[in-house]
Amino acid sequence: MNVISNNKLKSTIALAALQNVMDPEIGLNIVDLGLVYQIDFDEPEMKIFCTMTLTTQFCPMGESITSAAKESLKLGFPEYESNIELTFDPPWNHEMISEAGQDFLNEM
Amino acid sequence: MIGLGGNTDTTKTTSYKVVLPFYGYASFAFFIATALLFLSISNIATHYFHPHSLALTHIMALGWGTMMILGASHQLVPVLIEGKLYSNKLAITSFVLAAVGVPLLCYGFYMFDMGWPAKWGGRFVILAIIAYVINVAVSMANSKHENVHAVFVITATLWLLVTAIIGLILVYNFSYPLIRGSSLHYLPLHAHIGVIGWFLLLIMGVGSRLIPMFLISKYNNPKRLWMIYGLVNIGLVAFIFNFLYGHSRLIQMIAILAIATAIMLFGNYCYRSYQQRIRKKVDEQMKVSLLSVLMMLIPVVFLIVILVLLFLSDKENTSMIISYGFIIFFGWITAIILGMTFKTLPFIVWNKVYHQLAGKGKTPNPKDLFNNTVFKYMSVTYIFGFVLFIPGILLNSTIILQAAALLLVITSGLYNWNVIKLLLHKPVST
Repeated sequence: MNVISNNKLKSTIALAALQNVMDPEIGLNIVDLGLVYQIDFDEPEMKIFCTMTLTTQFCPMGESITSAAKESLKLGFPEYESNIELTFDPPWNHEMISEAGQDFLNEM
Repeated sequence: MIGLGGNTDTTKTTSYKVVLPFYGYASFAFFIATALLFLSISNIATHYFHPHSLALTHIMALGWGTMMILGASHQLVPVLIEGKLYSNKLAITSFVLAAVGVPLLCYGFYMFDMGWPAKWGGRFVILAIIAYVINVAVSMANSKHENVHAVFVITATLWLLVTAIIGLILVYNFSYPLIRGSSLHYLPLHAHIGVIGWFLLLIMGVGSRLIPMFLISKYNNPKRLWMIYGLVNIGLVAFIFNFLYGHSRLIQMIAILAIATAIMLFGNYCYRSYQQRIRKKVDEQMKVSLLSVLMMLIPVVFLIVILVLLFLSDKENTSMIISYGFIIFFGWITAIILGMTFKTLPFIVWNKVYHQLAGKGKTPNPKDLFNNTVFKYMSVTYIFGFVLFIPGILLNSTIILQAAALLLVITSGLYNWNVIKLLLHKPVST
């Protein structure tokens, strides 16, 4: 799934940072799992807005995953304030898993 | 395409403080049940209405199965209904009431004292169930996201309440003649409403959500689940009416066939989920859970054989009836709990211990919080113990029964070892 962003270059760095955040049950990172929908940068305010989802609402690991995503963005962009927006519109489905993610799950 | 109104509230899950006591209690009850099975094997194999059999059945049904399901469902209901659990306080109330009620009730059965221990035990259990029903019903009403899984859960919960009320009436019937006939006569009614209405319906409702979710399966068929829901409930209602008013063998068979069809459709649902899974590797915990789906069919086969034998000789086959009960509680229900405990508990514990450290450094994987080798040994002793028990009952061999019961004691010991390891886990950084 393509991640929407108003800054392609910086979003690549942000996605690389978010690739360190794993879904502990599946063992795959949240980017390849297709949980990240949008990353926007507010340059004057020095803020990052990451819109993401979870594989299911009220996922027991949800709070940990969003906290880890926020921390990873902080590490990638220490001078920015990172914000995580959670959405379930559209809800996550298996078609959102990247090709690399599909390969990983096939090999597992 | 993407809704910008994000909602971080949907990450708030039920507190571990609510869920963990249920897991700890249920694990201990499982150990007590297997120890009782081993120590009272000669009594238990004699008759299903023996006081020790009654005590064992209720430790397994309430202390082990129901406590574990109540605990896990406080965590899983929000996932199923896509809404928050209404009240943590009600959940804790439910735990305390059941935790007091179950041992009292089982003590009453063990001593065959239907006085205050059994009566107060039954009252506490009913109050615990009422607290749970209110919690689930209000959570569902608040969520407004209706789905088939949630309907399974709420219906199962209502059947549990019906089961417990009938159970308490049967206890009271020893002191006051509330119903016509002896309590023994109504035992099959009480037992089948509990097994089919509560355990079967709930396990199907939750399993149909969790099995595809853990397998990351493409398969989704709510229409089939509604059909399964209808068949189980029609079969159960037909069974109840026939038991109370009809006594027709034809209606009895139709009821069994409806439920057997529902089980086969559910088995097919799980198989299709398995076939269409994206995650190719299936872990040990899922294998045990999938095995339990297959085990659902064994009691149905036994029940049909029991009825055919009853039809031919007009005399109950006690060994077959004891085997039937054993297969339900120590087979199917235990297998799914053994598997699913280690698919849910490590994540609850991980959240408790490492939640604050998420993203700030390396933390262990939830799967590493318990010992997988112990889990494998547990699975092996369980399968051998379970399989060995059936010929032990049918051949009436004390040696085989004791060997099988010992294997099940070892199973529960290994299970408890891993559960305690999880519950006492302290933070470590890798």
